[in-house]
Amino acid sequence: MFVDRSRRDFMKTASAATLSAMAGGGHRLLGAGKVEPTADTLILLWMAGGMAQTETFDPKRYTAYETGLESAKVLSTFPDIPTKVDGVRFSKGLEKIANVMDRCTLIRGYQAGDLGFILHSRHQYHWHTGYAPPQSVACPHIGSWIGKILGPKSENMPAFLDVGQSLEIGAESDSLKAFHTAGFLGTEYGPFFIPNPEDAASSVRPPANISRERFAERWARYQKLMAASPVLRNSSSAQQESLKRSVENAHRLLTSPAAAAFDLNLEPEKRRAPYGDSRFGRACLLARRLTEAGARFIEITTEYIPFRYWDTHENGHTRAADMKAMIDGPVSQLILDLEERGLLDRTLIVLASEFGRDLITEGKPGKLVKDQIKQPDVMTEPKHYGMHRHFTEAGSVLMAGGGVKRGFVYGVTDNQRPCKVVKDPIKIEDLHASIYHAMGIPPDAGAEIERRPFYVTKDGKGRPVNELFIKS
Amino acid sequence: MMRCAWMFVILPPLALGQSQVPDFARQVHPLLVAKCAACHNSRMKQGGLALNTRAEILQGGASGPAAKPGDSASSLLMARVTGERGPRMPLNSPPLTADEVGLLRRWIDGGARASDGPVASDWKPTLTLRAPAVPEGAGSPLDRLMDAYWKKQKVKAPAMASDAQFARRAYLDLWGLLPTPEELQRFESGKEPDKRARLVETLLANPAKYTDHWISFWNDHLRNDEGVVYHGDRQTITPWLKKALEENMPYDSFVRALLNPVEKTDPAGFLVGVNWRGDVSASQIPVLQAAQNSAQIFLGINLKCNSCHDSFINQWKLKDAYGLASFFSDAPLPLYRCDAATGETASIKFLYPELGEAPAIDSPLELKRAAAAELFTKAENGRTPRTLVNRYWRALFGRGLVEPVDDMDAEPWSVEILDWLAADFVAHGWDVKYLLRTLMNSRAYASASTAGGDATPFVFRGPSPKRLSAEQFSDAVSAITGEWRTQTPRGPGAAKYVREWQVKSSPLTRALGRPIRDQVLTERANNPTTLEALEVVNGSTMATSLWRGARRMMGVLPDAPKPLFDSGVVNAQKVVCDVALNGASKIWLVVEDVDSYDPTRTRAGWAGIAFAKANGAVMFKGDTHSSQALLMKVPSMMALDTMGAERLTASVGVDVESLASDINPRIRFFAFSEQPDRSRLIAAEGETPVARPPSLKDKVALVDRVFLHALGRKPSPKESAVAAGYLRDGKPEGLEDLLWSVLLSPEFQYVR
Repeated sequence: MFVDRSRRDFMKTASAATLSAMAGGGHRLLGAGKVEPTADTLILLWMAGGMAQTETFDPKRYTAYETGLESAKVLSTFPDIPTKVDGVRFSKGLEKIANVMDRCTLIRGYQAGDLGFILHSRHQYHWHTGYAPPQSVACPHIGSWIGKILGPKSENMPAFLDVGQSLEIGAESDSLKAFHTAGFLGTEYGPFFIPNPEDAASSVRPPANISRERFAERWARYQKLMAASPVLRNSSSAQQESLKRSVENAHRLLTSPAAAAFDLNLEPEKRRAPYGDSRFGRACLLARRLTEAGARFIEITTEYIPFRYWDTHENGHTRAADMKAMIDGPVSQLILDLEERGLLDRTLIVLASEFGRDLITEGKPGKLVKDQIKQPDVMTEPKHYGMHRHFTEAGSVLMAGGGVKRGFVYGVTDNQRPCKVVKDPIKIEDLHASIYHAMGIPPDAGAEIERRPFYVTKDGKGRPVNELFIKS
Repeated sequence: MMRCAWMFVILPPLALGQSQVPDFARQVHPLLVAKCAACHNSRMKQGGLALNTRAEILQGGASGPAAKPGDSASSLLMARVTGERGPRMPLNSPPLTADEVGLLRRWIDGGARASDGPVASDWKPTLTLRAPAVPEGAGSPLDRLMDAYWKKQKVKAPAMASDAQFARRAYLDLWGLLPTPEELQRFESGKEPDKRARLVETLLANPAKYTDHWISFWNDHLRNDEGVVYHGDRQTITPWLKKALEENMPYDSFVRALLNPVEKTDPAGFLVGVNWRGDVSASQIPVLQAAQNSAQIFLGINLKCNSCHDSFINQWKLKDAYGLASFFSDAPLPLYRCDAATGETASIKFLYPELGEAPAIDSPLELKRAAAAELFTKAENGRTPRTLVNRYWRALFGRGLVEPVDDMDAEPWSVEILDWLAADFVAHGWDVKYLLRTLMNSRAYASASTAGGDATPFVFRGPSPKRLSAEQFSDAVSAITGEWRTQTPRGPGAAKYVREWQVKSSPLTRALGRPIRDQVLTERANNPTTLEALEVVNGSTMATSLWRGARRMMGVLPDAPKPLFDSGVVNAQKVVCDVALNGASKIWLVVEDVDSYDPTRTRAGWAGIAFAKANGAVMFKGDTHSSQALLMKVPSMMALDTMGAERLTASVGVDVESLASDINPRIRFFAFSEQPDRSRLIAAEGETPVARPPSLKDKVALVDRVFLHALGRKPSPKESAVAAGYLRDGKPEGLEDLLWSVLLSPEFQYVR
């Protein structure tokens, strides 16, 4: 009978697993720790909603708008601009990131999963966990895997921080919540949410109506009350201790100097200005501060709200211009600031989206899906002008730091419609395997759940793309 | 640690040199498990050979003994693994390494000895129910079986729990609520010798409170949740589930309704599963989900592995998962292995064919489902009642007779107790409340809890401490302070005060373990985590609860203003507003989002808004055309002068441009004659799930009440002194802080 070899091999590793590989509480880890990391922190800049690659990092022939323009003729709605790297061009509006392209690796051939129907949150679930729902177990978010396997980088900083996404967004709230969790790994490895970076400080400060003095005073009284308890005095248990410890950890986080990292007001105005005034911009500044304070994984998102931000069903051109203006300054400044502080080499930055966009193809060539966009064959209004359909064939991923090559492009897409990936396609398993590789985690690392292995990449089959890295 | 029929506790590896004799349990057995057990296990003995235990190795199979102690050269096992005698083993897999071969050789030559430590278990569960003999003695049958167990284990019976501990445990186990100080006082001062049994009776006899607690248990197990949308199929079973619990539906009927929903009111949603639009893995189509979930929840069998391929961790095969799924499928199922079509079609087959023939694969669906329902619940299937008994045992005692509870092939720590309980349960009509009564009237349940029970093998020494669930935590805070969650109706009218399970999860309850019910869940992680502590210590949900709660306890919580007008939920329709202003000089118009797809693009309008005097003279009138209506963003609030008017009229609704499907507005309009409390727009009326505590001003009374309700006891003199410090200036903030401290105490969060 045919059986999957890697699963059989799991039984061998399971039996021979040393107790030292067992993390406390529940799920035994598998196979971790055999890779030399080139990064200690991962910053995921999440372009939620489907970032149009031909309007950003993979520009094609530009066609200006005019009434009567055929949709099929339009590949990009912006002219392209040079970058710091010869021969590599970006879309107009990303001048600042273009200027730091020499620190970056750009993937142009990311191919999203074929899920049979375009549903943003389902593709986002797939991107963030490596598995498409429904699944038989609750899948952990990539940030939770990293937090669980590597642990926090600093004891005063939650390992997994999630900035910029509100979870109450109307109809897709439930699907969003479904993957913003540590799944079966347990809430210890779940995300610490900061929906609004300006309020980040408040998530690590006492609630608005409680002054610092009062917070400190009640903590002191709490200790006294616990010490006075006849019940706690006479009996102690592992559970009591672990609750005590969790409360102390929380308190320490709230009162440690590291908590100052969350306060954007402490950043001098001169250094704050290049990040701009948008929530995303401020979040990038927060990411830099948190990295300096020892965060392990930070996700910063432009935010998914149906039909907002990168999710352009119409008016794609003007919206893309707005989005580029939103990200250009902050992303480039984040890279420069980390470099200036000597942190870029050990911090991996990944800018990605759940899929790309095209005007004509919904899905991918050869695997079209039900069309959800009203795009006329001939444009009659400016709102028809832009990349409106959901394109799973090709997307761009920009990486910097953490050991990736500098000024390198991986993957090529065709300059003619349907703009297929013609060289070096990469799917989520291998993209994740590459990210995990940089962090020192092999693609068949995982945990045991219900006595079976569950891997960080699907079936443990992801393979890191060594060409992306300086040290192969 | 997990146990199963042929894999035992993994022990730390010994550091052995090459020349030492390998240890069977630590080295030889794991190797055999890894390389041989897929075919040579107790259930499936290829060639008649199992390599599970030392005894089986020495006994061998059809070709004779596998090992001759002291003589590896003559041992068949060695001949097979070296290929000296074909076929080489393991079959169709890479050969053992030289080291591995050497390990086996050295073990055999060293005498093929057993370990000193724990040995692989020969345990095989029986399928049929058995009613073991109950020894003579005092007490109920369960008590006598328990005494026999403790005698055999040479363990002293635990001390009795105090009345306060018993009451706290029993109330939480049956109602999910702490006993109020009044209830506790009444129980403690009772003089009847059987007062504990009477308390259990009283608690069981309240269907509403019982249901409000146990519905969360079943929501987890049946992955039922309200209004969760993934743009695919999913159906709630709450109305049926609620009724089943309220009426104490016998468990066999309960299972049959879930597996074979016939009436319109039956829970079709369980078989519908959780679906997302688009392509799914073959192992997750609804009928495969149904097979996995019904096997796990009702039989304690894991079919997840073998929904893609034959399992490597138990005896189940791909055809078994499909065999069961076929009972729920209209048409015969094409067999997929690892998402690749095999070209075969699955046969319909129950997991235990000895229980009965499956109907023909082309039978009508109703017949197949009815057959499944029958096979799961027939008298000869003892697994179903044992699985249920074990789950309830775990719920009450903190650890099952069998662990993990989803692997009912594992050996119970008392076969007699599990079997007796299961047989007794069935003999009494599968009555769940009867089972609860039996367990809760036992001496074991009445005992003090004992921490520490992770010894191997496990020995039961009494109930384990349990942690409050997310729902119990939230309801406890509500009951102590009198400040409850509210549930707003769809139409106009008052909101109701409800328990935590009926409202959407909050960041606090999610952090405390309230699950996302995408999968069935039989065990919530209950270890304290830092994120959870952050929510309790610093989260806004907790802070708001305590702010309001403290003030309510002290009788100083301001009432939220009531609206003059409440449109109820509006999407495409228009609602008429026609209200008297009652002398108000100002009016606040509020529009709130209920559940719009895109509230930011929704425009709400008060068309034809008019302020009129009593005699009908109109002082201000907006145009009746919606484009000229008083438009407001969602959500927003606007204050207007009434200019001495006596009446306000308008036609409220959504702007016509907002009626697009990608906006899908659902909003609600209000008008207030005083500044509204945006968090309490819809007033709640009616009773609270637990009667509100009397509002107290006396500091000692407040402290005592908090301790009595939260912890089930009065504060010690030292504690009273510290607590008095919190309340020294008599302000609500002091009480907030005291509540906060008590809620963070392990004594509060754990149930001893």
